[in-house]
Amino acid sequence: MFSQFETWYRDRHEYARKWKDRTGGKVFGCFCSYVPEEILVAANILPVRVLGSHEPQDVTEQHLFGMFCPFCRDVLAQGLKGRYEYLDGITLAQACIHLRQAYRAWEENVEHPFSYYLPHPMHVASPHAVPYLKEELKNFRKAVEEHTGVTLTDEDLDRGIRILNENRAAMHDLYELRKGPAPKVSGLEAMWVTVSSTWIDKEEHTAEIRRVLAEIDGRDKDFGEGTRLMFVGSENDDTDFLGMVEMVGATVVVDDHCTGTRYFWNQTPEMDDRIEAIAKRYVERPACPAKDHVVRTRFPHILKLAQEYDVAGVILIQQKFCDPHETDMVPLRSFLEENGFPCLFLEFDVTVPMGQFRIRVEAFLEMLMEEDLF
Amino acid sequence: MVTIGIDVGAKNAKILILKDGEILISKYRESGFDQAGVTTALLDETLAELKLTRDDITSICSTGAGRKAVTFANEVVTEVSATSRATFEMYPEVRTVIDVGAEEGRAIRCGERGKVEDFAINEKCAAGSGAFTEAMARALELTVEELGKISLDSSASVPMNAQCAVFAESEVISLLHANTAKQDIAKAIHDAIASRIVSMTRRVGLNKPIALVGGMARNVGFVHSLNAAIEDEVLIPDSPEMTAAYGAALIAAERAA
Amino acid sequence: MAKHKTEALKCWNKAKELREKYYKDYASAHDRGGIRWTGGAWSFDAIPYGLGDDVYPLTGEPYAASIAFNKEFSMKCLEATEAKGWARDLCSYMRNYWGSMYLNKFLFGGPYPKPDFGFQDHICCSHSKWYQVVSEHEKFPYFSIDLSVGPYKDIQGNPHKVRYIVEQMHESIEFMEKVTGREYDDEKLIEAVKTDCRSTSTWAKICELNKNRPAPLEEKSMYSLYVFGTLSKAKKEFADFYDELYDEVKDRVDRGVAAIEDERCRLMSDTQPPWGFLKLFRYLETFGALSIGSLYTFGLIGNWETKPDGSFCARTTPMELGVSIDSRDKALEVLADWTLSRPEWQHFYDPSLKTEMMLQIAKQWHVDGIMLHLNRGCEGLSTGIMQNRNGLAKSGIPIMTYEGNMGDEREFDMNRTMARIESFMETLDLQPLEKA
Repeated sequence: MFSQFETWYRDRHEYARKWKDRTGGKVFGCFCSYVPEEILVAANILPVRVLGSHEPQDVTEQHLFGMFCPFCRDVLAQGLKGRYEYLDGITLAQACIHLRQAYRAWEENVEHPFSYYLPHPMHVASPHAVPYLKEELKNFRKAVEEHTGVTLTDEDLDRGIRILNENRAAMHDLYELRKGPAPKVSGLEAMWVTVSSTWIDKEEHTAEIRRVLAEIDGRDKDFGEGTRLMFVGSENDDTDFLGMVEMVGATVVVDDHCTGTRYFWNQTPEMDDRIEAIAKRYVERPACPAKDHVVRTRFPHILKLAQEYDVAGVILIQQKFCDPHETDMVPLRSFLEENGFPCLFLEFDVTVPMGQFRIRVEAFLEMLMEEDLF
Repeated sequence: MVTIGIDVGAKNAKILILKDGEILISKYRESGFDQAGVTTALLDETLAELKLTRDDITSICSTGAGRKAVTFANEVVTEVSATSRATFEMYPEVRTVIDVGAEEGRAIRCGERGKVEDFAINEKCAAGSGAFTEAMARALELTVEELGKISLDSSASVPMNAQCAVFAESEVISLLHANTAKQDIAKAIHDAIASRIVSMTRRVGLNKPIALVGGMARNVGFVHSLNAAIEDEVLIPDSPEMTAAYGAALIAAERAA
Repeated sequence: MAKHKTEALKCWNKAKELREKYYKDYASAHDRGGIRWTGGAWSFDAIPYGLGDDVYPLTGEPYAASIAFNKEFSMKCLEATEAKGWARDLCSYMRNYWGSMYLNKFLFGGPYPKPDFGFQDHICCSHSKWYQVVSEHEKFPYFSIDLSVGPYKDIQGNPHKVRYIVEQMHESIEFMEKVTGREYDDEKLIEAVKTDCRSTSTWAKICELNKNRPAPLEEKSMYSLYVFGTLSKAKKEFADFYDELYDEVKDRVDRGVAAIEDERCRLMSDTQPPWGFLKLFRYLETFGALSIGSLYTFGLIGNWETKPDGSFCARTTPMELGVSIDSRDKALEVLADWTLSRPEWQHFYDPSLKTEMMLQIAKQWHVDGIMLHLNRGCEGLSTGIMQNRNGLAKSGIPIMTYEGNMGDEREFDMNRTMARIESFMETLDLQPLEKA
C-alpha cells in the first residue's frame, strides 16, 4: 500500500532527474526545512531536501572539521560525490552552524547556477521575527525571480501556498490514523511518506497520500499491538533503525523531527500580504531547538503531541555533536519524564550500531511493559 | 662516511646504518619503557655485528616519538622530515606519502628533494593506526597477520563507522552478534582504517603515485583496502617500517657533509 | 646573543589589577546597591550602562577561560556539568561556566554571584541556549538579541537588517527597566556607545603596531590584554586603559623594543588557544618564532576595516566621522552598525570572508607560517576552519593544524602538539635557538 513512497524514498535522484526531463523545470536543493518552499513552487521549481546516504565516506574531512555533526558531513559528501549533480540551485535557510558549513563547502566545491544563503531569524519567540523574515523573504523572492526570469504574481504565490498547504493537510490526515488504539499505518510507512514528501513533487505526493487514505479502511492489518512510542530529536531519516524498533515490539506513532512533523505541521495562513503569510508560517512552525529562544516553545508542543498520540514512551534521538539538540536534551528529558513519559536517549551517527541499539530499545520496551503491569 | 638513523617509535626502535649512501644493515626491536637502554643496546649490537666501533661513525640522527631518548645522537629530526627525505630517495617522483605506524597515521606532501610541504597527522583517537588493528584483531580472536589475510577473502562491503576506536570495537561486537562472517568484519575494519587514512590524506592532497610506509604497510588487508579507496596501487618499499630510520641516516649524512 | 632588546610591559600590573577589580566589583555590586548582569563577551554591554554607573557585567567566555586556566577547578566544573547529563562535546566555556554555577562556587571566591538579569546576543548555536539554561537554573529574567542578519557586506541596501537589531535593542531597554525598576538614561547610553567604539578601535590600533618588525607584542601577552574588550567594551576604565596601552606599545615600536629577543619567524594563529597550555607559545620562542596574533585576538573584539589603499586597519569611529549621536535610537543604530562589522562575526555566514581577512593579516603583518587550532571547545570559531585552511594554503604560506580544546584539557595532548610544532618548525627551516 505504501510501496510508492518506499520507492520514492529509495530512488530520490532518479525521481528528480525524471521530473526534470518530464517537466523541463528546475530543481533546487534545500539544506534545511526552513527554506520557504512556497516561493520555489510558485516559480515552478521542485524543492528537494538534501539528505545523507548513511554510508561511511572519506571526502569531507578536508572541508569540514570532524567536530561537526555526522549528518552535515554526510550531506556534504553527497555533493562532493556528485550525487546531486542535477540540481539547478542550492539554498540554505539559516538554522544551525553545522548544516551551514555543509552548504558553504558544497557551494565552494560543486558548481550550480544558483546559490542562496537565506538569513532567517533565530529567535522565533521574538515579536520582531516575522517582520524581519518578511524582508528577507522579499530578497529571496527577488533572487528567484531574477534567476528564473519570471516575475511572481500573487496568483503564483497563492498556488505555491495552496500546493504546500494541501500536502500538509494530507499529511495531517495520515497522522490522524496513527492516533487511535489500532493504527493502520506503521511508523516505518509514515517515515517513507514524510521523508519522501521533502523531495517529491508535492501535488503528486498529495495525490498518492489521498489514494492511500481512500483505500486504508479496507486494510486488513493494523499496528495496535506494539508499544506506542514517539521519536523526538535531530534530523532522522534512518528507516533501518525505525524498522528495527518496530520489529522488536513497538509502534512509532508520532515524531518531532525536521524530516517529520516539524516539516509539515502548520499551514501558511491566508493573508493579503502573501510574503508575510509565509514568514509567519516559518516563524510559527514547531521550532528547531536552534531557533527556540528565548522562551521555550518546543517543549509544550512536544508534550501535546505525546499526549494526543497517547504514547507510552519517547526515544530521544540526537545526531552526535548536534549542539542545538544537545542543549535541549537534558531539560527536555526531565520535562517529559516529569510529565509521565519515560525516555530512552540514543546518539546517532551516519550508521548506527544496530546490535547495541536493539538491546537498549528492547530493555526500554520491557521497562515500559512493567509499568503497565504494576 | 658511515651514518646511522635511529627511529624510536611507539612500539619498536629501529636502527639503520648507511655507508656512502648504501644501506649496510637495519634492525628493530620493541622499544619498551627503557627507550634509552634499548636503543643503546641495539646500536652496540648492530655495530658489533658489522665489526664497527662508535669511532667509525660520522653522525647519528634520531627520529620518532622517542627521539629525545637517544642522548648520543648528533642530530634530531622529526619522523615527518625523516620519512619525507627517505621517500624522496626511494621514489623521487612521489609527492604524497602515507605513513601508518603503531600509534599514528600521517600523510605528508613532499616537495623538491624531499622537503616537507605539508603534513597531516591523525588526532588523539587511535582509529587510524596499527594499535587499532591490534585491538580489532583481539576482538576477533585473531593475530594481526591473520586479520589482514582473511580480509582478502571477503568481497562484502559492511559499513563501519570507525570515528573512534572504542566505538568501532563495539561495532565489531555488534557485527559478531549479527553473525557477520569474520572475513567480512576483517574487511570492514580495514576499509574503515583506509577510509580514515584517505580522508586525512586528502587534507594534504592525494597526488598519485602514493607511497605507503610504516609498519601497517605489511598488513595485506589494509593495503588492499587502501588501494581500493585511492583507486590505485600504493608503492611500498621492501622494509616499510625502516623508512624513517633510513631518512634519519640520510639527513645525518647530508648534515655531516 | 639577543638580537633585539626586550622589556616587560609597564602596564602589565595595572592590567592584572583591573581584571581582578572587574570580578570583585561584580561579586560585591549588591553590597553597594548596584546591578549585576551576566551574558556573553559579545553582548551589547553598552546598553545596560544606561541603567546607571553602578552596573556590573559577568561575561561568560573570559570567566570560563579563567576557570580553564585553573586546571583543578576546571575539572570539577566540567564534571559537575557532565553529572547533570550534558554532552561532553558542547562548548567548553559553557560547560565550565555551568559547572561553576552548579557547584555554586565563584572562581574569585565565594558562591556563584547570582545576576539580576541575563543579557546575551546570539550568533552561534549555543549563545542563547547558554543563558537560557542559566536563567532557568538560577531563576532570573533573561533577554537575548538575535543577530541573524548575514555578513556586514550585505548590510548596505538592506536597512531592515540593522533595524531588526535596533528594534530588539529597544525592547531590551524596556525589559531592563522592567526587571530593575530603574529609569533608563539615554545620555549614559550615548556615552557608553562612544566608549565601545573607542575601545574596540583602539585595540585594533594596538594590534596594527604588530605590523612592525620586530613585533612589539607576541600573542601570549595579547591574550591578557584583549580580554578587557571581552569583559566590557563600553567600560570607560577599560577604554582609557587601551589608550594608555597604545601609547606604551607605540613607544616600544619607536625604541625598537621587541616581544622576543630573536625574532626569526612570524606566525599567525587562529581560534582560542588551549588556555591551560599557553606554554606552547613559549615553546615557539625556543625556535625564535612568535605569533604576531590572529584574526581571533585582533578581531574578536577589535573593529577593523579595509582602507581604500588595501590596508587592514582599525575602523574609523563614528565620532571621527563626525556622526552625531543625539538620541536613543541613533545610539542603538550606531552600536548595531558598528558591531555588525566585527571581523569575527563574518565567518558565521561565509568562511571565505574570514579567509580574506586572514590573508590580509598574513601579508601585512609579514607572516611566515600559520598555526590553526582546530578547537573542539568552540563550534562558533571553528566554523568553516577547514575551508579557511584550504583558502590560506592556496596562497602558499605553510600551515599546520593541531586539535585541542580551549577549555577542556582532556581533549588536548601537549606532547603530541609539541612534536607537531617541531615538525612544522622543520618545514620552516627553523632549528632550536641554542643549536643555531
